[in-house]
Amino acid sequence: MIYTAKKDVNSACKIVAEDMLLTTDMPTAAGSKMLDGYMSLLEAEVLTILKDKGYGVCGKADVGEFAIDLLGETSYNGANTADGKLLNSSSEILKANEADAVIALDVNGTTRRAAAQNGLVSVKPTYGTVSRYGTVPVACSGETVSVMAKDAKTCRKVLDDIAGHDDKDGTSLPESEIAKKADAKEIKRIAIINDMMADVSDDVKANIDSAVAKLDVEVVNIDSSVIASSRPAWNILMSAELCNNVSRYDGVKYGHRAEKFSGIDELYTNSRTEAFGDLLKTAIIFGSETLSTENYMKVYDKALRTRRVIVEEFAKIFAEFDAVMIPACSKAFYTEDDVKADKYVSYKENFYTAPASITGLPAVVAGGVQLIGKAFSENALLELASKI
Amino acid sequence: MDRVILRRLELLNQLSLTETQKDEVIAFFADRENDAKVLENIDTSNVERMVHVMPVMTVVREDIPSQPFSRDDLQKGAPETDEGYWCVPRVVE
Repeated sequence: MIYTAKKDVNSACKIVAEDMLLTTDMPTAAGSKMLDGYMSLLEAEVLTILKDKGYGVCGKADVGEFAIDLLGETSYNGANTADGKLLNSSSEILKANEADAVIALDVNGTTRRAAAQNGLVSVKPTYGTVSRYGTVPVACSGETVSVMAKDAKTCRKVLDDIAGHDDKDGTSLPESEIAKKADAKEIKRIAIINDMMADVSDDVKANIDSAVAKLDVEVVNIDSSVIASSRPAWNILMSAELCNNVSRYDGVKYGHRAEKFSGIDELYTNSRTEAFGDLLKTAIIFGSETLSTENYMKVYDKALRTRRVIVEEFAKIFAEFDAVMIPACSKAFYTEDDVKADKYVSYKENFYTAPASITGLPAVVAGGVQLIGKAFSENALLELASKI
Repeated sequence: MDRVILRRLELLNQLSLTETQKDEVIAFFADRENDAKVLENIDTSNVERMVHVMPVMTVVREDIPSQPFSRDDLQKGAPETDEGYWCVPRVVE
């Protein structure tokens, strides 16, 4: 399923919202049977802002269950495929010219992988610059509302329209901080991290070479095993936060309720067991284990300290360079066989997206490559992306 | 990870896994042990935890009265209700 809901709108600029954003006129399921048919009483703040500015929200794009998979293949509606290749709903909508932009919630890099594999542009802004109020919470310390479009100019316009402080979001930055993005300096020096290039396909390497050839900037290859350690640290933090966030779904006040149960405990267990998919169940179990008394210090606390080491490593790199260029995924496309061979492949493939997720730094994907910049440098990144 | 710990985690998270799923989860944990070795190589001995990547502060504002959602609206998506109450099985024997 590409759309979970569609509606006619009369607007010069059409937007599709991924099904991780709450809407009051269309259901929100977050790709999960647990929320099948759920109608929210409130609307995602970004969608309210966009409507107020004349945009029309013309539909909801299907997502993988709570947006932690590769491209959306774990949706309870089933995977979208063509000739064995996995498809992403949002990128299919954009390629069919059915919307000017998609508003997504980048939890585990799906938006960036989809943009990279489909020749689209996406921007994951600096954490805290776009309101997360009214999004389905999963990994709150790293997820950000993101924009995907056919070109950098559209991403820039939509991002400019949705960025800003929101009192209703406790992690929203003050306007004085967000305004710093207007001061981003032109990007002149880029670092390519060798450690992130070892396992990518020739197509992806060719994308990097092509992007470098098009840009009039100095490019230097550097080593950084610290940045490459983002994936295991992010997997721990994401799963721990996810475990807590989905604990609210119990089949009592809303969401799926099992038909058969003999008592309250069975109601909870049967409802969650029936409604959740395999990847989500495993993520919950893993997150719960990282937070257990035995593992809290050894695993969860270690990941939080590693996050600071990674942030400081980026700061050292940005003392010499204006941006980092790495792939957004390991290959040009994923197949159904990739997921059949390893249903947890998104916990490996997020090697390329975890660095920006765990640090909250802005990341722009264009021409199949990912540019990560200093906080509030998204406009400069998009300017560079327009040349790729 | 073994089946005893896994059963405890299932109960804690109100989930019930099939035998096949249990095997898959145990294999997943084996992979994560390799990840743990990657993290062991990062020296965090004198490093503070970083919970928030951006300076997040406690939001302080005046209390502003507003119209809350009505009970009828809140119960529109409920699996089972009766005269304004959410229904669950008997919890006290």
